[in-house]
Amino acid sequence: MCADKVGGPYDAVIVGSGISGALIAKKLGLAKKKVLILEAGERLPANVNDYMNRFFNAVAKIPESPYPPELPSDPAKVKAGRPNVLELLPGIWDNPAKSYLVQNADKQSLPFASTYERVNGGTVRHWLGTSLRFVPADFEMNSRYGKFVDWPIKYRDLEPWYGEAEKEIGVSADAAEQTYLGITFSSDYPMPKIPESMVDKRVAAAMPGLKVPGVGLDDLQWKVSNTPAGRNSQPYQDRRVCAGNTNCIPICPIQAKYDPSVTLADALRTGNVDVVYNCVASKVLVGTDGRISGIQYIQYDKESQSPPRQVSGKIYILAGNAIETPRLLLMSEGANAPRGVGNGREPDQAVIGRYLMDHPLYLAWALAPKSVWGYRGPLSTSGIEVCRDGDFRKERGAFRIEIGNEGWNFPIGDPHTTTLDFVNAMNDSNQNGDKKALFGEDLAKHLNNILSRQFRLGFLVEQEPEFNNRVSLAVETDGLGLRRPAIAYNLSDYTKRGLAAAQVTATAIFKAMGIDKEATTDPSKDEPSAFFWQPTGKRIQYYGAGHIVGTHRMGSTKADSAVNDKQQSWHHNNLYLVGSGSFPTVATGNPTLTIAALCLRTADYIINSRQI
Amino acid sequence: MTDFTRRKAIAVAMGTMAGAATAVSLPGAAAAADSDLAIFVKLSAALTGIDALKLAPDLDQKKAPGTDVIGIKHAYFAVASKDPAFPDLMKIAREADPNFAAAAEIITGKATDDIKFLGRSIILAWYLGAWYPPKVLQKGTRPGLTDVTVISPTAYTQGWTWRVAQAHPMGYSELRFGHWGDRPTSTLELTGKKLEEP
Repeated sequence: MCADKVGGPYDAVIVGSGISGALIAKKLGLAKKKVLILEAGERLPANVNDYMNRFFNAVAKIPESPYPPELPSDPAKVKAGRPNVLELLPGIWDNPAKSYLVQNADKQSLPFASTYERVNGGTVRHWLGTSLRFVPADFEMNSRYGKFVDWPIKYRDLEPWYGEAEKEIGVSADAAEQTYLGITFSSDYPMPKIPESMVDKRVAAAMPGLKVPGVGLDDLQWKVSNTPAGRNSQPYQDRRVCAGNTNCIPICPIQAKYDPSVTLADALRTGNVDVVYNCVASKVLVGTDGRISGIQYIQYDKESQSPPRQVSGKIYILAGNAIETPRLLLMSEGANAPRGVGNGREPDQAVIGRYLMDHPLYLAWALAPKSVWGYRGPLSTSGIEVCRDGDFRKERGAFRIEIGNEGWNFPIGDPHTTTLDFVNAMNDSNQNGDKKALFGEDLAKHLNNILSRQFRLGFLVEQEPEFNNRVSLAVETDGLGLRRPAIAYNLSDYTKRGLAAAQVTATAIFKAMGIDKEATTDPSKDEPSAFFWQPTGKRIQYYGAGHIVGTHRMGSTKADSAVNDKQQSWHHNNLYLVGSGSFPTVATGNPTLTIAALCLRTADYIINSRQI
Repeated sequence: MTDFTRRKAIAVAMGTMAGAATAVSLPGAAAAADSDLAIFVKLSAALTGIDALKLAPDLDQKKAPGTDVIGIKHAYFAVASKDPAFPDLMKIAREADPNFAAAAEIITGKATDDIKFLGRSIILAWYLGAWYPPKVLQKGTRPGLTDVTVISPTAYTQGWTWRVAQAHPMGYSELRFGHWGDRPTSTLELTGKKLEEP
C-alpha cells in the first residue's frame, strides 16, 4: 500500500497520529489488518533539523515552538489549529479573536491552562518523557475514599499492558525502586534507570528531616524516587542514549526521548498502514442502524482546501486528544445522533466533552544554599511519589512532586531573565533588588552564583471531575470553517485544597533543605490562572501540566460514561474513543503510560473480538 | 609609524591565516576591519568577564590559527556594527587599547546612553545569542517577544550564560550520558575565569 494516499478498503480508520493512534495502528497492522490514519497536521519534515532550527530561532521557547502551525497564528484562519501557552496571557485567553480555544470567561470560570499539538506524533512529540504507572488506589477512588467514580478496571487488569507499553515506548527504570503504594510488576523495564541529578541528590538529602504539617501527610516516610522515563539509558530501537540536552520539552535533538514517529514508522513497515497528513476529520457519519458508516474529512494545503471527502472502514477509532475528539463528535450531530456522535439518547448518557480535567500544577522555586548545578540532564529525573495516596484523598486532591533539573527556566524563563536583569539594571527575577547593572567578571560571578543554585519543584494535583467542566462547540470557526472548541473550566474546592497543600509542602521541603526564604512569588493581580485562597488571604497560581483528560470517560455501565473499559462506545459498537479522554479520574501520574496501556489493550480486544 | 605598520601587518595576517571563518568582507578597508574585529573581541571580553581566548580561540593568530571554527564573533560584530553608536564605542576601545578594562568602565559608566546601552546589547549578544536592541534596553521594561531576535541558531548554541552556569544551552549538549549526576566542569575551564565562590 502506498503510505501517502487514501486507498482502501480499510478495516480500521483512525483519526489522529498521536501515541494512541500510532500504537493501535501498529498492532492492527501487525495483525494484517488494513488501517488508515487521518492526521490533521503536518508530516515529519524531510530534515528533522527543521524542527530544531525553528526551536533555536524562537524567542519564546514554549512547548509548541518547534512545531507547525507557525506561531503566532490567527485562530480564525489556521487550518489545523491548536492552543499554545502564549494564549494564556491576560487579554488573550478570554479573547476568541486571539485564542484558539474559546474559553468561558465569566466569574465562575478559570482558564484551562493546557495545550496540545496537531502534527505527526501529536502531543507526545513535546512530552517530558515521564512514564509512571498509576497506583492501584487511583482506580478505586469511590470504593476507597467515597469520591468520584471507580474505573471499570483495576490496576491488576491493566498491569500486563503497562509492561507492554514500557517496552513499546522504551522506558528506563529499575522495577525494584518503583514498588511503592501497591504497584506490582509482572515484567521488567527494558532499560535500567536514568541516573539521578545533583539537584535530586540535594533534595533527597533533606527527606529524612522533612515534616509537613496539616495536610494529611504527617506520618509519611518521605523519599525521592527515580522517575521512569521514555528516554534511552541504553541504545534502544536504533536510537541513542540520553546526552542530557535538557530540552525534552519541547524536543529532544537526538531522539533519545521516545516520540510516536518511532511507532508510526513501525506501523508503516507492516505494509498494512496508510497515513495521510493535512486531513482534518470534519464529521463522523452514522447510519440508521447506529453504526458508524464513514468519516468525512477535508484535505488542505497553504492555499486551499478540498471539498469534504469520505472514507470508510469496518471500525473507527478516534484518537484526536481529549479536546479535539469531543469536538469532532459534537460536530457530528445529526438525525442518527441527535446529541452528537457518542452520546446516547437518555439524558444521563450525554457525557461527550464533560468532566474535562487537567493536572493543575503548583510551581515553587528557590535558591539552594550551595550550588546544585541545574540546567543539566533531562528536564526531570526524580520525583516524590510517596505522597500520591492516602486517606487525605477524602478531603483534598492528592499530588506527586516533580523535581526539575532546569533551574528557573519554567517559573521565570531563566537564564534569560536573570541575565537581562543584571546587565540592564532590572529585577524581573527578584534577584537584583538594588537594580545594579553589572559587567565583566562581576557579572559573570553573580550569574554563576545565582544560576548554579536555582531549582524548582512542580506539584501535579489531582483535579476533581466536574460535569460542568466541559468541551463544547464555539460559534467561532477555524480556517476550514469548522467550529472551534469552547471550554468551560473551573477548579473545585477539593482541587484548590490540593493546590494549597502543595504550597505548604513546598515550603516545608525548602525549609528542610535549609532554605528559609523561597523565591516563589505570588501571582500578579492580573494573572488569569490563579484563584484567591481564603486561609492564606493570597492568590495561588496554577499551571497546566498538558494532561487533558476525561471527556469521553469509561464506565461499567452506559449511565454517566461514554465508553466501556475497552474504550468502545456504548452507543456505536464499531466506534472507539481512545486516549486520556477515556480516563474517569486523572489521578496523580502523568497520563502517557496509562494512555499507551489502555490503547494496547483496546487493540488486543479489537483483534481478539474479530470485529475486523 | 612603526606601530601602525606592525598593527597593519598583524591585521593582514589574521585575514589570510584564519581561513573561511574570517573571510567576511566588512565595510571599509580590509586591514582596518580585521583589527576592529580583534578590538571588538577584546572589548567584549572585558564587558562579559569571559576570557578573550574563550570568546575567540583564534585571537592570537600565531598560536592558534583557524581554531575558531564557529566564529560567532563575526555574527555579533556584524549586528553590533549596524548600530549608529558603534563607531563611538569602538573609538573608546581603540583609544584604551590595551586597557580594555578601562574601556569597559567608560562604556558602562560615563559614556552617553547610546554607547552605554549598545555596550549592554553586546554583552547580551555574547551571553544569550540574541539581540536586545539598545533602544529596547533603554526602556528598562521586560521586552516584548517581537523586540528581541535570536541572532541565529548557532548563536543560541554559543550563549555564554549557560557556561557561566556550568551547564549548556537547553537543546544543545555536547556532553555524555550521566554527566548530570556529577559535578560539572569548573568555570575556570569553561570561561577562563574562576567564578565560583571559594
